[in-house]
Amino acid sequence: MKVMIGFEIHEQLKTQQKLFCECSTDYMHAEPNTNVCEICTGMPGAKPMPLNEKALDAVIAIALMLNCDIKREVYIQRKHYDYPDLPNGYQRTSTPIGVNGELVGVRIWEVHLEEDPGKYDPITGRVDYNRCGVPLVEIVTAPDISSAEHAREFLKELRKVLEYTGVVREEGGTMRVDVNISIEGGARVEIKNINSIKGVYRAIKFEIARQQNLLKRGIKVKRETRAFLEEQMITKAMRTKEEAQDYRYIPDPDLLPIFITQERIEKIKQSLPESPFEKEKRFIKQYGIDAETAKVLASELELANAFEEVAKHVDARIAALWIKDELKRILNYNDLTFKQSGIKAEHIVELIKMMQSKEITQKTAKKIMEILVKNPKSPKEIVKELGLSRIADKESLEKIVEEAINENKKAVEDYLNGKKEALNFIVGAVMRKTRGRADAKIVLELIKSKISA
Amino acid sequence: MIKEKLEKIKNQELSAKENVENFLAKIEEKDDEINAFIEINKKAVEEAKKVDEEIKKGRNLKLAGLVFAIKSNINVKGLRATCASKTLENYVSTYDATVIERLKKEGAIIIGMTNMDEFACGSSGETSYFGPTLNPRAKERIPGGSSSGSAAAVAGEMCDIALGSDTGGSIRNPASHCGVFGLKPTYGLVSRYGLIDLAMSLDQIGPISSDVYGVAVALEVIGGYDVRDNTTLKYKPKYELNGVENYTIAYAKEFEEICDKRIYSEFLKGLRILENKGAKIVEISLPNLEKGLPAYYLINFVEFFSATRKFDGRRYGYRIEEVCGKEVLRRILLGKYISQKEYSGKYYKKALRFRNLIREEILKALSNVDLIASPVTPKLPHKLGEEIEPLEMYKYDILTVIANLAGIPAGVAPLSKINNIPVGIQFQAKPLEEQKIINAMHAVGEEK
Ligand SMILES: [Zn+2]
Repeated sequence: MKVMIGFEIHEQLKTQQKLFCECSTDYMHAEPNTNVCEICTGMPGAKPMPLNEKALDAVIAIALMLNCDIKREVYIQRKHYDYPDLPNGYQRTSTPIGVNGELVGVRIWEVHLEEDPGKYDPITGRVDYNRCGVPLVEIVTAPDISSAEHAREFLKELRKVLEYTGVVREEGGTMRVDVNISIEGGARVEIKNINSIKGVYRAIKFEIARQQNLLKRGIKVKRETRAFLEEQMITKAMRTKEEAQDYRYIPDPDLLPIFITQERIEKIKQSLPESPFEKEKRFIKQYGIDAETAKVLASELELANAFEEVAKHVDARIAALWIKDELKRILNYNDLTFKQSGIKAEHIVELIKMMQSKEITQKTAKKIMEILVKNPKSPKEIVKELGLSRIADKESLEKIVEEAINENKKAVEDYLNGKKEALNFIVGAVMRKTRGRADAKIVLELIKSKISA
Repeated sequence: MIKEKLEKIKNQELSAKENVENFLAKIEEKDDEINAFIEINKKAVEEAKKVDEEIKKGRNLKLAGLVFAIKSNINVKGLRATCASKTLENYVSTYDATVIERLKKEGAIIIGMTNMDEFACGSSGETSYFGPTLNPRAKERIPGGSSSGSAAAVAGEMCDIALGSDTGGSIRNPASHCGVFGLKPTYGLVSRYGLIDLAMSLDQIGPISSDVYGVAVALEVIGGYDVRDNTTLKYKPKYELNGVENYTIAYAKEFEEICDKRIYSEFLKGLRILENKGAKIVEISLPNLEKGLPAYYLINFVEFFSATRKFDGRRYGYRIEEVCGKEVLRRILLGKYISQKEYSGKYYKKALRFRNLIREEILKALSNVDLIASPVTPKLPHKLGEEIEPLEMYKYDILTVIANLAGIPAGVAPLSKINNIPVGIQFQAKPLEEQKIINAMHAVGEEK
């Protein structure tokens, strides 16, 4: 069965000021209705100021990263609809800025600029206009996605690219996706306003099952717009095609057309970072690491940069392995990005160097990594504070080994009866007693000599 | 005479306070009948005292102590910008429009907010929620609109200068009917920041005054680039009062068939005055003149529909469609209709094409001459309260909408009277050539 899925993706841009006024874009932490003025609250007679050029640069950067052609002439349009969070009764949205792009085999139809509406609370009936006028990028894809899994993969890739550009908001949770989906024999259904990749995945799963079910029972699938109810994980009908809104687009007479010069495009092109895809390729070649490791390292720009910094000071392959197998695993477990964790490249360098000089054991290194994620600071200090340095002198260890032998008579017996692996049990006991700080090689030697003696 | 009064105030022969008090007395005496004002600024005297102090300190203020009346669609902080509507009956401005900031900075006193057609939708001054305004110079007639109260306040000597707004003739039409001077600037010369929209691509704020000096000095102050209006031009106006010697002034042969015979014959007399003052009069043709009106109204309806979406009842008490007058509702519904996806190509886009056609035609005509002179309205103002069909009402605007569609400046000076009803003459020029219009208005004004 053929499934065709396309997206309209909205993401907030990281600018200090709103799109058409000078108010701060901080709506997340500010008291309601404090970052507002006559313009962004649509007071009678207020007019937009010239478009925030930084927001336009940001959209051009995103469009270029998505391999789009840039339109040279752009208009701001009014999209009319009636909702409490929209103080003017219309939303300002640009004509396409980027067109004909592509990302991992999915065609990007257009990329444009929009203003965010305010926030309406249906329970109190109050509107907070702090968010009103915050710049958004909207990315429209072709219906090139074929499953919920594919959708998830694409959105992750897109988010990575957006993050790489450095022009979208980092707080997370600001991505909003409208999903267009049609399955063979069905009709095109739009699911509005999903705000996570997980939500998109679930909505698509549900919607495919719903439509299949209808088709199986011989019921025609209606062309309609549906809402995704996150908590119930279902979609619900909002309006049919006949009730579809007519936005009555008109060019906003208050704003002049925008002309984008070739010079401006070139300048932005120069400042763009390497794409994640290019970075992976380069990592494989430059550092001699495998494709899978390269992909993990390039999954976050800050992480990739940290890796390159670390690789200047220690063996790149060791650094890559430690970052991929340990650091990334712990970050994932704690649901943190590298940037959020606050870990610095020099921390990782220090840690690996301590391990290589045998100041600490591998086991301790893993433990420090876990501490670092929660409390990023110099690993040397952590070692000092917690007394984690490696115990390698025979005298200190001898006592502990003896204890371990005495407490594990059965294992000693087994070993002497030829069960070689019983030795590991005693090593384990020593490690427990030293909280992993004992040098495993020396411990093994000591045990062997004690038992056979 | 505004210039003389300004000198007197600057020389402290007349105080700003006395000037305000004189006008307040006039308003008290006359305005129950005329109904030019919706609200009087209770702090006007207080503000005048402050201006007097500034003058005493020797500050040179361009509008020192002059008294301004402001159309009720322009935001003046602390006063109501009602747009003469029930929708905004209780809307008190929280900020000053750019033009108001500039007036205040130069020592002008705002005396009050004037009556108008509701949301500037009308050419007669009769559609106000606060009742119609009388024409002080011909009391049984309409004063014209939509800046009815602003023109009547000037004609009734209740202020020195008034600000109006002009979307398709709303300054020039009442200036003509009330026998005063008015000018609609080049689109983008004056900031619209703080002007409540009728049709954003056509609206301009402009001055109305009892003489041309008042128009010129007010325009100098309010004109010029404003970052809060994206459509303003980077231009700083400065005017003088000169003559029209060696000007080539054109008129179109099409005017005759459009206009009332009496009006046309007065217009020809006006041309003769200009000729006597050294101008050369030439005849031209404007074949697309009559296409202007439908294009104008279609654009006006669509933009007005868009502009009024914010009056959804959530923040200003009333949903506009539920409390507005017939004309406002007609425009909203027509705007809503023709902006629909399936019709916008047929109506709205076509109107925009006609607009370009007309702009090109008028700019081409102006490329060979200094000014185009014309009558202001094709007929005399009707009797107050007389029933008149919407299309008849729209026809008042046929000669004034061209300037808005083309974005060019146009000014009106009083010319003469027919049966005691004032009639004016209109001058149009190339963008930013207000100076030429002011000169022509001056030339005609001197004859009076
Ligand atoms: Zn703002």
